[in-house]
Amino acid sequence: MADRRRRLRALLRRLPGEYPVLGAIVAAQVVFLLVPTLIVLVASFQGGSVIRFPPDELSVQWYAALPGEERFLAAFYRSVLVATFCTAVAIPVGIATGLGLIRYEIRFAGGIQLYLLLPFTVPLVVSGVVLLLIFRELGVLGQLWTVGLALAIINLPFMIWSVTSRVNALDPELEHAARNLGAEELQTFLHVTLPALMPGVITGGLIMFVLALNEFLVSLLITTPNIVTLPVLIYTSIRANVSPLVAAVASVYVLAAALAVLAADRLVGLEEFLRS
Amino acid sequence: MSRRSERWSPLLAARRAAVDALIALKERLPEDAYRNPPTAVGYLLLVPALVLVGFLFVGMLLLAWYSVLTFDPIEILVYELTLENWRRLFATTGYHVIFLRTIALTTVVTVLAVALALPYAYLTVRVRSAPLRKLLLVSLFVPFFTGVIVRAYGWLIVLGREGVVNAVLGVFGIGPVRFLASEGAVVLALLQIMLPFAIVMIAPAIQNVDRELELAASNLGADRLATFRRVVIPLAAPGIAGATIVVFTITAATFAIPDLIGGGRVDFVANLVYRTLFDSGNYPLAAATSVALVAVTSAVVVGIFRTIGSGTLGIRRGGGGG
Repeated sequence: MADRRRRLRALLRRLPGEYPVLGAIVAAQVVFLLVPTLIVLVASFQGGSVIRFPPDELSVQWYAALPGEERFLAAFYRSVLVATFCTAVAIPVGIATGLGLIRYEIRFAGGIQLYLLLPFTVPLVVSGVVLLLIFRELGVLGQLWTVGLALAIINLPFMIWSVTSRVNALDPELEHAARNLGAEELQTFLHVTLPALMPGVITGGLIMFVLALNEFLVSLLITTPNIVTLPVLIYTSIRANVSPLVAAVASVYVLAAALAVLAADRLVGLEEFLRS
Repeated sequence: MSRRSERWSPLLAARRAAVDALIALKERLPEDAYRNPPTAVGYLLLVPALVLVGFLFVGMLLLAWYSVLTFDPIEILVYELTLENWRRLFATTGYHVIFLRTIALTTVVTVLAVALALPYAYLTVRVRSAPLRKLLLVSLFVPFFTGVIVRAYGWLIVLGREGVVNAVLGVFGIGPVRFLASEGAVVLALLQIMLPFAIVMIAPAIQNVDRELELAASNLGADRLATFRRVVIPLAAPGIAGATIVVFTITAATFAIPDLIGGGRVDFVANLVYRTLFDSGNYPLAAATSVALVAVTSAVVVGIFRTIGSGTLGIRRGGGGG
């Protein structure tokens, strides 16, 4: 009797997987995370001009209309430009900061770290207002590069984190070994230090790029009508009417996100993102 | 090394020439400068980041100054000091309501996000099946990388009058129910936005929890829940602290979800700031409101620092993986 009960319990434990209760909670979370994200894809294939569930009929007419939508195309192009600029600024800054903080005896290192966290501790809307005021005072408001710079500033801690974790993991003995084998200091940096930092740089760069591509609130505050980026344009379009055309545009974002996740997995492995 | 890299190619030649030129340049420096780089180099390396973040630092001072300037409907900004903006902020009940609502709903979202992130992060780290782990990682990062606006749009489609939920309810003859423009809808949508942040912050901490300790606990007779509560959570406390801080500060400053999902009925401070800024052009009052928001969130963050420490937000030197 006791034996059978034990066997039953063993079977029960195996049946729904390793962690039954935990598994059920997390499965619900997976649905919760994915449904509002992927629903945009479904809505974009709507045949009629009103988004309705279940869809009246399926069609790709909204995708067919995309190439003619110059406003959206221009905004998309600007978003890509802004994200590229932001990443290009953040990568060298991140590498320099990571090396400086970890490799050198810096006085007030704790204070500097706290200061460098400012982009995270200042509420995003306030960062937006602050940058709006500064760019206004400097008379550069309405120039596209200011948006790229702003996004580099507000997400900089992501880059610094990614790089510092790699600098930490890099054994200085490797660099000493390279130097003992006759490598120049510069060669050591280019062939030992930099490649070792690469996973951190790729992770950080990818995060910077995708976040910049998606950034909304600061962009909303500091863009003028001529330089609106795609998230801002999607926002104003949603406020006007919930047309399936916007869903088709938004689907591009879901696809870009999926691509980014794929790239991240191929380049460094998604698990890398969960390491501190 | 592979022979392939020895083959001549214009790119490689150019790279070598560049490196040689750099080395030649470097050789001109006094030897000590590169063999034993002085600490000054370390400070020099920090300058770009300090300057970039300096925009925010200087901007905060500018903001404080704006908050005591005088607003004029025609000239917008008059360089005369006044406490009128602050008096108005403290004396208007409507503003109090928005601040209190922001804090209350942000707290709800933070608690729920951290509580839900714990099992998710734990399972992602501990699950043995590789495809399952990949599924969990993908469902975490695809929404994370999709951005707020697209997901807000998704929630409009899910919760709208002719949305998914009402379609399902309609099958049972219920509804249509109005979900949008309620606090519940705003909390739900915000939770979906913030959950990935919380998971990303907590997972590394769980990765650092020694599996042996959990086995020891279960050997000593603790069931899974007890092990989770008494072993995993205390050891993951730094990650939980980091997640709490990040989720709280981001949620407290949120704009898009209250605006689109809340439909003007569930305004947060950010919506107030935006309206003050662009509808009435009252820069000084918007500045005062912003400063107040910074003060409130800082107070909460300091509170969390005091009770559970700075957690994973600090940059640590040395040690396993940083």
